[in-house]
Amino acid sequence: MQYAMEELVAEFSNESGIPSQMVIGASGKLAAQITSGAPFAVFVAADTKYPEKLYQNGLCLAPPRVYAHGKLVLWTTRAAIAPNVNILDSKAIEHIAIANPTLAPYGKAAMEFMGNHQLLEKVRHKFVYGESIAQTNQFIVSGSADIGFTAQSVVLYSQLKRLGKWAPLDTSQYTPIAQAVVLLKNTELQEKRAEKFEKFLFSPKAKKILENFGYTVVK
Amino acid sequence: MDWNPLFLTFKLALVTTLLLFVVSIPLAYWLAYSKSKGKPILEAIVSLPLVLPPTVLGFYFLVAFSPNNAFGRWLEQWFGVQFVFSFTGLVIASILYSLPFMVHPIQSGLSSISPSLKEAAYVMGKSRWETLTKVLLPNIRPSLLTGVVLAFAHTVGEFGVILMIGGSIPGKTKVASVMIYEEVEALNYDNANFYSGILLVTTFVILVVVYLVNGGYLKRFFK
Repeated sequence: MQYAMEELVAEFSNESGIPSQMVIGASGKLAAQITSGAPFAVFVAADTKYPEKLYQNGLCLAPPRVYAHGKLVLWTTRAAIAPNVNILDSKAIEHIAIANPTLAPYGKAAMEFMGNHQLLEKVRHKFVYGESIAQTNQFIVSGSADIGFTAQSVVLYSQLKRLGKWAPLDTSQYTPIAQAVVLLKNTELQEKRAEKFEKFLFSPKAKKILENFGYTVVK
Repeated sequence: MDWNPLFLTFKLALVTTLLLFVVSIPLAYWLAYSKSKGKPILEAIVSLPLVLPPTVLGFYFLVAFSPNNAFGRWLEQWFGVQFVFSFTGLVIASILYSLPFMVHPIQSGLSSISPSLKEAAYVMGKSRWETLTKVLLPNIRPSLLTGVVLAFAHTVGEFGVILMIGGSIPGKTKVASVMIYEEVEALNYDNANFYSGILLVTTFVILVVVYLVNGGYLKRFFK
Protein backbone atom coordinates (compact mmCIF):
# COMPACT_ATOMS: atom_id res chain seq x y z
CA MET A 1 0.00 0.00 0.00
CA GLN A 2 2.94 2.26 0.77
CA TYR A 3 3.87 2.97 -2.86
CA ALA A 4 0.35 3.67 -4.08
CA MET A 5 -0.20 5.84 -1.00
CA GLU A 6 2.87 7.93 -1.72
CA GLU A 7 1.44 8.81 -5.09
CA LEU A 8 -2.07 9.35 -3.72
CA VAL A 9 -0.89 11.62 -0.92
CA ALA A 10 1.32 13.65 -3.25
CA GLU A 11 -1.57 14.08 -5.66
CA PHE A 12 -3.96 15.03 -2.85
CA SER A 13 -1.59 17.63 -1.39
CA ASN A 14 -1.05 19.02 -4.85
CA GLU A 15 -4.74 19.25 -5.65
CA SER A 16 -6.08 20.48 -2.32
CA GLY A 17 -3.13 22.51 -1.09
CA ILE A 18 -3.39 20.69 2.23
CA PRO A 19 0.06 19.59 3.35
CA SER A 20 -0.20 15.93 4.29
CA GLN A 21 2.23 13.73 6.06
CA MET A 22 2.23 10.01 5.80
CA VAL A 23 3.28 7.63 8.54
CA ILE A 24 3.95 4.17 7.19
CA GLY A 25 3.68 1.02 9.24
CA ALA A 26 2.03 -2.33 9.63
CA SER A 27 -1.73 -1.90 10.07
CA GLY A 28 -1.66 -3.58 13.48
CA LYS A 29 1.10 -1.37 14.80
CA LEU A 30 -0.60 1.79 13.61
CA ALA A 31 -3.92 0.64 15.07
CA ALA A 32 -2.20 0.05 18.41
CA GLN A 33 -0.72 3.53 18.24
CA ILE A 34 -4.07 5.10 17.35
CA THR A 35 -5.72 3.27 20.25
CA SER A 36 -3.12 4.85 22.51
CA GLY A 37 -3.90 8.33 21.22
CA ALA A 38 -1.61 8.87 18.22
CA PRO A 39 -2.78 12.10 16.57
CA PHE A 40 -3.55 10.76 13.08
CA ALA A 41 -6.44 12.10 11.04
CA VAL A 42 -6.94 9.28 8.56
CA PHE A 43 -6.13 5.58 8.80
CA VAL A 44 -5.66 3.93 5.42
CA ALA A 45 -5.28 0.24 6.15
CA ALA A 46 -4.40 -2.73 4.01
CA ASP A 47 -7.29 -4.67 5.44
CA THR A 48 -10.65 -4.15 7.12
CA LYS A 49 -9.96 -5.81 10.46
CA TYR A 50 -8.05 -2.99 12.14
CA PRO A 51 -10.24 -0.10 10.90
CA GLU A 52 -13.25 -2.08 12.09
CA LYS A 53 -11.67 -2.56 15.51
CA LEU A 54 -10.91 1.16 15.83
CA TYR A 55 -14.46 1.98 14.82
CA GLN A 56 -15.86 -0.38 17.46
CA ASN A 57 -13.65 1.31 20.02
CA GLY A 58 -15.29 4.62 19.18
CA LEU A 59 -12.18 6.24 17.76
CA CYS A 60 -13.62 7.01 14.33
CA LEU A 61 -16.04 9.52 12.84
CA ALA A 62 -17.80 7.02 10.59
CA PRO A 63 -17.71 3.31 9.76
CA PRO A 64 -14.78 2.15 7.61
CA ARG A 65 -15.21 2.22 3.85
CA VAL A 66 -13.51 -0.14 1.43
CA TYR A 67 -11.55 1.85 -1.14
CA ALA A 68 -9.84 -0.98 -3.03
CA HIS A 69 -9.26 -4.71 -3.28
CA GLY A 70 -5.67 -5.89 -3.38
CA LYS A 71 -4.22 -8.81 -5.28
CA LEU A 72 -1.70 -11.43 -4.32
CA VAL A 73 1.38 -12.32 -6.39
CA LEU A 74 4.33 -14.70 -6.18
CA TRP A 75 7.65 -12.90 -6.41
CA THR A 76 11.26 -14.07 -6.62
CA THR A 77 14.62 -12.40 -7.19
CA ARG A 78 16.40 -15.70 -7.81
CA ALA A 79 17.48 -16.01 -11.42
CA ALA A 80 17.02 -19.77 -11.49
CA ILE A 81 13.46 -19.76 -10.20
CA ALA A 82 10.34 -19.14 -12.26
CA PRO A 83 7.51 -17.99 -10.02
CA ASN A 84 4.54 -20.32 -10.13
CA VAL A 85 2.47 -22.35 -7.71
CA ASN A 86 3.78 -25.74 -8.78
CA ILE A 87 7.37 -25.15 -7.76
CA LEU A 88 6.53 -24.27 -4.15
CA ASP A 89 6.81 -27.87 -2.98
CA SER A 90 9.85 -28.65 -5.15
CA LYS A 91 13.34 -29.08 -3.73
CA ALA A 92 14.53 -25.87 -5.39
CA ILE A 93 12.58 -23.87 -2.83
CA GLU A 94 13.95 -23.84 0.69
CA HIS A 95 12.23 -20.79 2.14
CA ILE A 96 8.93 -19.17 1.23
CA ALA A 97 8.42 -15.65 2.58
CA ILE A 98 4.92 -14.87 3.71
CA ALA A 99 3.47 -12.06 5.80
CA ASN A 100 2.35 -13.16 9.28
CA PRO A 101 -1.19 -14.43 8.60
CA THR A 102 -2.57 -13.27 11.93
CA LEU A 103 -1.31 -9.73 11.37
CA ALA A 104 -1.27 -9.08 7.64
CA PRO A 105 -4.14 -9.65 5.20
CA TYR A 106 -1.79 -10.68 2.42
CA GLY A 107 -0.38 -13.39 4.64
CA LYS A 108 -3.87 -14.65 5.39
CA ALA A 109 -4.75 -14.64 1.69
CA ALA A 110 -1.55 -16.54 0.87
CA MET A 111 -2.47 -19.22 3.41
CA GLU A 112 -5.93 -19.51 1.94
CA PHE A 113 -4.45 -19.75 -1.54
CA MET A 114 -2.08 -22.57 -0.59
CA GLY A 115 -4.84 -24.32 1.30
CA ASN A 116 -6.97 -24.29 -1.84
CA HIS A 117 -4.09 -25.82 -3.78
CA GLN A 118 -3.64 -28.58 -1.14
CA LEU A 119 -0.13 -27.22 -0.58
CA LEU A 120 -0.36 -25.85 2.93
CA GLU A 121 0.81 -28.90 4.88
CA LYS A 122 3.40 -29.79 2.26
CA VAL A 123 5.18 -26.46 2.40
CA ARG A 124 4.43 -25.11 5.87
CA HIS A 125 7.95 -25.96 7.11
CA LYS A 126 9.39 -23.67 4.44
CA PHE A 127 7.57 -20.56 5.63
CA VAL A 128 9.44 -17.59 7.01
CA TYR A 129 7.17 -14.92 8.39
CA GLY A 130 7.53 -11.19 7.85
CA GLU A 131 5.83 -9.13 10.54
CA SER A 132 4.42 -6.98 7.74
CA ILE A 133 4.24 -7.11 3.97
CA ALA A 134 7.19 -4.68 3.92
CA GLN A 135 9.39 -7.11 5.82
CA THR A 136 8.24 -9.96 3.62
CA ASN A 137 9.45 -7.90 0.67
CA GLN A 138 12.85 -7.50 2.38
CA PHE A 139 13.19 -11.27 2.61
CA ILE A 140 12.36 -11.64 -1.08
CA VAL A 141 14.43 -8.74 -2.41
CA SER A 142 17.53 -9.62 -0.38
CA GLY A 143 17.21 -13.14 -1.77
CA SER A 144 17.22 -14.63 1.72
CA ALA A 145 13.97 -16.37 0.86
CA ASP A 146 13.78 -18.11 -2.50
CA ILE A 147 10.29 -16.90 -3.25
CA GLY A 148 7.45 -15.18 -1.47
CA PHE A 149 3.89 -13.93 -1.51
CA THR A 150 3.38 -10.20 -1.70
CA ALA A 151 0.95 -7.55 -2.89
CA GLN A 152 0.69 -6.77 -6.56
CA SER A 153 1.04 -3.08 -5.77
CA VAL A 154 4.61 -3.78 -4.64
CA VAL A 155 5.81 -5.42 -7.83
CA LEU A 156 4.07 -2.79 -9.96
CA TYR A 157 5.92 0.02 -8.19
CA SER A 158 8.21 1.66 -10.74
CA GLN A 159 11.43 1.23 -8.78
CA LEU A 160 10.86 -2.44 -8.06
CA LYS A 161 9.40 -3.36 -11.43
CA ARG A 162 12.60 -4.67 -12.92
CA LEU A 163 13.60 -6.58 -9.81
CA GLY A 164 13.20 -10.31 -10.24
CA LYS A 165 10.12 -11.99 -11.65
CA TRP A 166 6.58 -12.17 -10.42
CA ALA A 167 3.43 -14.02 -11.36
CA PRO A 168 -0.18 -13.06 -10.65
CA LEU A 169 -2.26 -15.70 -8.86
CA ASP A 170 -5.70 -16.96 -9.70
CA THR A 171 -8.00 -14.55 -7.86
CA SER A 172 -10.70 -17.21 -7.50
CA GLN A 173 -8.41 -19.12 -5.12
CA TYR A 174 -8.39 -16.55 -2.33
CA THR A 175 -10.69 -13.90 -0.92
CA PRO A 176 -9.79 -10.55 -2.49
CA ILE A 177 -8.07 -8.36 0.07
CA ALA A 178 -10.52 -5.63 0.98
CA GLN A 179 -8.71 -2.50 2.15
CA ALA A 180 -10.55 0.11 4.17
CA VAL A 181 -10.09 3.69 5.25
CA VAL A 182 -11.46 5.36 8.38
CA LEU A 183 -11.52 8.96 9.51
CA LEU A 184 -10.28 9.36 13.05
CA LYS A 185 -11.52 11.69 15.74
CA ASN A 186 -9.21 14.66 15.85
CA THR A 187 -9.39 18.45 15.95
CA GLU A 188 -12.18 20.06 13.91
CA LEU A 189 -9.72 21.33 11.30
CA GLN A 190 -8.08 17.93 10.93
CA GLU A 191 -11.43 16.18 10.70
CA LYS A 192 -12.50 18.52 7.88
CA ARG A 193 -9.27 17.90 6.02
CA ALA A 194 -9.60 14.17 6.57
CA GLU A 195 -13.06 14.25 5.01
CA LYS A 196 -11.55 15.93 1.96
CA PHE A 197 -8.95 13.21 1.76
CA GLU A 198 -11.57 10.50 1.91
CA LYS A 199 -13.51 12.21 -0.85
CA PHE A 200 -10.34 12.35 -2.91
CA LEU A 201 -9.64 8.65 -2.27
CA PHE A 202 -12.94 7.77 -3.94
CA SER A 203 -12.48 10.19 -6.86
CA PRO A 204 -11.82 8.95 -10.42
CA LYS A 205 -8.29 10.31 -10.24
CA ALA A 206 -7.42 8.32 -7.15
CA LYS A 207 -9.09 5.23 -8.57
CA LYS A 208 -6.89 5.54 -11.64
CA ILE A 209 -3.77 5.60 -9.45
CA LEU A 210 -4.99 2.59 -7.49
CA GLU A 211 -5.70 0.68 -10.69
CA ASN A 212 -2.22 1.44 -11.97
CA PHE A 213 -0.95 -0.33 -8.86
CA GLY A 214 -3.04 -3.38 -9.65
CA TYR A 215 -5.89 -2.74 -7.22
CA THR A 216 -9.48 -3.42 -8.11
CA VAL A 217 -11.68 -0.45 -7.32
CA VAL A 218 -15.44 -0.09 -7.17
CA LYS A 219 -16.53 1.82 -10.25
CA MET B 1 -0.05 -20.78 26.65
CA ASP B 2 2.82 -21.35 24.24
CA TRP B 3 6.08 -21.63 26.17
CA ASN B 4 8.18 -22.17 23.09
CA PRO B 5 9.17 -18.52 22.48
CA LEU B 6 10.36 -18.14 26.08
CA PHE B 7 12.22 -21.43 25.91
CA LEU B 8 13.88 -20.31 22.65
CA THR B 9 14.86 -16.96 24.13
CA PHE B 10 16.65 -18.56 27.06
CA LYS B 11 18.19 -21.25 24.90
CA LEU B 12 19.55 -18.59 22.55
CA ALA B 13 20.86 -16.53 25.46
CA LEU B 14 22.50 -19.57 27.05
CA VAL B 15 24.22 -20.83 23.89
CA THR B 16 25.32 -17.31 22.98
CA THR B 17 26.71 -16.64 26.46
CA LEU B 18 28.66 -19.91 26.55
CA LEU B 19 30.24 -19.32 23.15
CA LEU B 20 30.86 -15.66 23.94
CA PHE B 21 32.65 -16.58 27.14
CA VAL B 22 35.07 -18.80 25.24
CA VAL B 23 35.64 -16.19 22.53
CA SER B 24 35.87 -13.20 24.84
CA ILE B 25 38.57 -14.35 27.23
CA PRO B 26 41.40 -14.47 24.66
CA LEU B 27 40.03 -11.32 23.05
CA ALA B 28 39.86 -9.41 26.34
CA TYR B 29 43.28 -10.78 27.33
CA TRP B 30 44.80 -9.44 24.14
CA LEU B 31 43.03 -6.09 24.49
CA ALA B 32 44.12 -5.73 28.11
CA TYR B 33 47.80 -6.56 27.65
CA SER B 34 48.72 -5.97 24.02
CA LYS B 35 50.75 -2.94 23.01
CA SER B 36 50.08 -3.50 19.33
CA LYS B 37 49.26 -0.56 17.07
CA GLY B 38 46.21 -2.37 15.79
CA LYS B 39 44.60 -2.43 19.24
CA PRO B 40 42.44 0.70 18.84
CA ILE B 41 40.97 -0.77 15.65
CA LEU B 42 40.01 -4.01 17.36
CA GLU B 43 38.67 -2.11 20.36
CA ALA B 44 36.52 -0.03 18.04
CA ILE B 45 35.21 -3.14 16.29
CA VAL B 46 34.31 -4.77 19.60
CA SER B 47 32.45 -1.64 20.71
CA LEU B 48 30.56 -1.12 17.43
CA PRO B 49 27.48 -3.13 18.44
CA LEU B 50 27.01 -0.72 21.36
CA VAL B 51 26.67 2.22 19.02
CA LEU B 52 25.09 0.82 15.89
CA PRO B 53 21.33 0.42 15.76
CA PRO B 54 20.37 -3.27 15.67
CA THR B 55 18.77 -2.58 12.32
CA VAL B 56 22.21 -1.91 10.82
CA LEU B 57 23.49 -5.25 12.07
CA GLY B 58 20.30 -6.97 10.99
CA PHE B 59 20.44 -5.42 7.56
CA TYR B 60 24.06 -6.44 6.98
CA PHE B 61 23.39 -9.93 8.26
CA LEU B 62 20.37 -10.26 6.01
CA VAL B 63 22.40 -9.26 2.98
CA ALA B 64 25.54 -11.16 3.99
CA PHE B 65 23.73 -14.40 4.78
CA SER B 66 21.62 -14.30 1.63
CA PRO B 67 22.43 -17.12 -0.80
CA ASN B 68 22.01 -14.48 -3.52
CA ASN B 69 25.59 -13.27 -3.12
CA ALA B 70 28.97 -14.98 -3.21
CA PHE B 71 29.68 -14.61 0.52
CA GLY B 72 26.36 -16.10 1.54
CA ARG B 73 26.81 -19.02 -0.85
CA TRP B 74 30.34 -19.58 0.46
CA LEU B 75 29.06 -19.63 4.03
CA GLU B 76 26.38 -22.09 3.12
CA GLN B 77 28.78 -24.43 1.31
CA TRP B 78 31.51 -24.15 3.92
CA PHE B 79 29.34 -24.70 6.97
CA GLY B 80 26.61 -26.69 5.28
CA VAL B 81 23.85 -24.68 6.97
CA GLN B 82 21.93 -21.64 5.93
CA PHE B 83 22.38 -18.86 8.44
CA VAL B 84 19.42 -16.70 7.60
CA PHE B 85 16.13 -17.96 9.09
CA SER B 86 17.92 -20.46 11.33
CA PHE B 87 18.77 -20.78 15.00
CA THR B 88 22.46 -20.99 14.09
CA GLY B 89 22.17 -17.64 12.33
CA LEU B 90 20.58 -16.12 15.41
CA VAL B 91 23.44 -17.42 17.56
CA ILE B 92 26.08 -15.94 15.24
CA ALA B 93 24.26 -12.61 15.13
CA SER B 94 23.76 -12.59 18.90
CA ILE B 95 27.45 -13.27 19.54
CA LEU B 96 28.39 -10.16 17.62
CA TYR B 97 25.51 -8.19 19.07
CA SER B 98 26.42 -8.98 22.68
CA LEU B 99 30.20 -9.06 22.21
CA PRO B 100 31.04 -5.77 24.00
CA PHE B 101 28.92 -6.75 26.99
CA MET B 102 31.15 -9.75 27.61
CA VAL B 103 34.52 -8.35 26.48
CA HIS B 104 34.43 -4.97 28.26
CA PRO B 105 33.98 -6.21 31.85
CA ILE B 106 36.62 -8.93 31.41
CA GLN B 107 39.02 -6.51 29.77
CA SER B 108 38.67 -3.90 32.49
CA GLY B 109 38.94 -6.62 35.13
CA LEU B 110 42.21 -7.83 33.64
CA SER B 111 43.65 -4.34 33.31
CA SER B 112 42.77 -3.41 36.86
CA ILE B 113 44.51 -6.25 38.68
CA SER B 114 48.02 -5.46 39.80
CA PRO B 115 50.70 -6.51 37.28
CA SER B 116 52.74 -7.89 40.17
CA LEU B 117 50.35 -10.83 40.44
CA LYS B 118 51.08 -11.84 36.88
CA GLU B 119 54.79 -11.17 37.25
CA ALA B 120 54.98 -13.22 40.42
CA ALA B 121 53.34 -16.14 38.65
CA TYR B 122 55.81 -15.91 35.80
CA VAL B 123 58.76 -15.73 38.21
CA MET B 124 57.48 -18.87 39.90
CA GLY B 125 57.73 -20.56 36.51
CA LYS B 126 54.04 -20.71 35.67
CA SER B 127 53.13 -20.75 32.01
CA ARG B 128 50.89 -18.08 30.47
CA TRP B 129 48.00 -20.51 30.38
CA GLU B 130 48.41 -21.45 34.05
CA THR B 131 48.80 -17.81 35.01
CA LEU B 132 45.59 -16.99 33.18
CA THR B 133 43.49 -19.85 34.52
CA LYS B 134 44.90 -20.09 38.04
CA VAL B 135 45.83 -16.51 38.87
CA LEU B 136 44.20 -13.94 36.62
CA LEU B 137 40.70 -15.34 36.05
CA PRO B 138 40.09 -16.31 39.70
CA ASN B 139 41.04 -12.77 40.65
CA ILE B 140 38.50 -11.17 38.38
CA ARG B 141 35.51 -13.37 39.26
CA PRO B 142 33.17 -10.38 39.70
CA SER B 143 34.10 -9.11 36.22
CA LEU B 144 33.51 -12.55 34.72
CA LEU B 145 30.13 -12.77 36.41
CA THR B 146 29.21 -9.29 35.21
CA GLY B 147 30.23 -10.17 31.65
CA VAL B 148 28.30 -13.42 31.64
CA VAL B 149 25.16 -11.89 33.07
CA LEU B 150 25.20 -8.76 30.92
CA ALA B 151 25.75 -10.82 27.76
CA PHE B 152 22.95 -13.17 28.79
CA ALA B 153 20.53 -10.37 29.66
CA HIS B 154 21.39 -8.40 26.55
CA THR B 155 20.70 -11.44 24.36
CA VAL B 156 17.38 -12.02 26.13
CA GLY B 157 16.53 -8.43 25.24
CA GLU B 158 17.60 -8.76 21.62
CA PHE B 159 14.92 -7.82 19.15
CA GLY B 160 15.81 -5.80 16.08
CA VAL B 161 18.43 -8.12 14.68
CA ILE B 162 16.32 -11.22 15.24
CA LEU B 163 13.29 -9.60 13.68
CA MET B 164 15.28 -8.85 10.55
CA ILE B 165 17.01 -12.19 10.02
CA GLY B 166 14.87 -14.67 11.95
CA GLY B 167 11.74 -14.97 9.87
CA SER B 168 9.67 -15.63 13.01
CA ILE B 169 9.53 -19.41 12.51
CA PRO B 170 7.71 -21.02 15.46
CA GLY B 171 10.05 -23.23 17.46
CA LYS B 172 13.11 -22.12 15.51
CA THR B 173 13.51 -18.36 15.43
CA LYS B 174 10.36 -16.98 17.03
CA VAL B 175 11.80 -15.78 20.33
CA ALA B 176 9.84 -14.07 23.10
CA SER B 177 10.69 -10.50 22.07
CA VAL B 178 9.41 -11.12 18.54
CA MET B 179 6.36 -12.92 19.91
CA ILE B 180 5.57 -9.94 22.15
CA TYR B 181 5.91 -7.54 19.25
CA GLU B 182 3.52 -9.61 17.15
CA GLU B 183 1.01 -9.99 19.97
CA VAL B 184 0.99 -6.21 20.48
CA GLU B 185 0.42 -5.72 16.76
CA ALA B 186 -2.41 -8.22 16.82
CA LEU B 187 -3.84 -6.18 19.73
CA ASN B 188 -3.65 -9.28 21.97
CA TYR B 189 -2.53 -7.30 24.96
CA ASP B 190 -3.22 -10.15 27.40
CA ASN B 191 -0.72 -12.44 25.69
CA ALA B 192 1.80 -9.63 25.27
CA ASN B 193 1.44 -8.91 28.96
CA PHE B 194 2.03 -12.54 29.87
CA TYR B 195 5.30 -12.87 27.96
CA SER B 196 6.49 -9.39 28.91
CA GLY B 197 5.79 -10.04 32.58
CA ILE B 198 7.83 -13.22 32.57
CA LEU B 199 10.75 -11.52 30.83
CA LEU B 200 10.58 -8.56 33.21
CA VAL B 201 10.56 -10.69 36.33
CA THR B 202 13.26 -13.13 35.17
CA THR B 203 15.70 -10.47 34.03
CA PHE B 204 15.08 -8.42 37.17
CA VAL B 205 15.83 -11.42 39.38
CA ILE B 206 19.00 -12.22 37.43
CA LEU B 207 20.27 -8.67 37.76
CA VAL B 208 19.45 -8.46 41.46
CA VAL B 209 21.36 -11.69 42.07
CA VAL B 210 24.40 -10.32 40.23
CA TYR B 211 24.44 -7.08 42.17
CA LEU B 212 23.99 -9.01 45.41
CA VAL B 213 26.91 -11.28 44.62
CA ASN B 214 29.16 -8.55 43.26
CA GLY B 215 28.38 -6.19 46.08
CA GLY B 216 29.43 -8.84 48.57
CA TYR B 217 26.04 -8.69 50.30
CA LEU B 218 25.63 -12.43 50.24
CA LYS B 219 29.04 -13.07 51.78
CA ARG B 220 28.35 -10.61 54.55
CA PHE B 221 24.92 -12.09 55.06
CA PHE B 222 26.25 -15.61 55.55
CA LYS B 223 29.10 -14.58 57.86
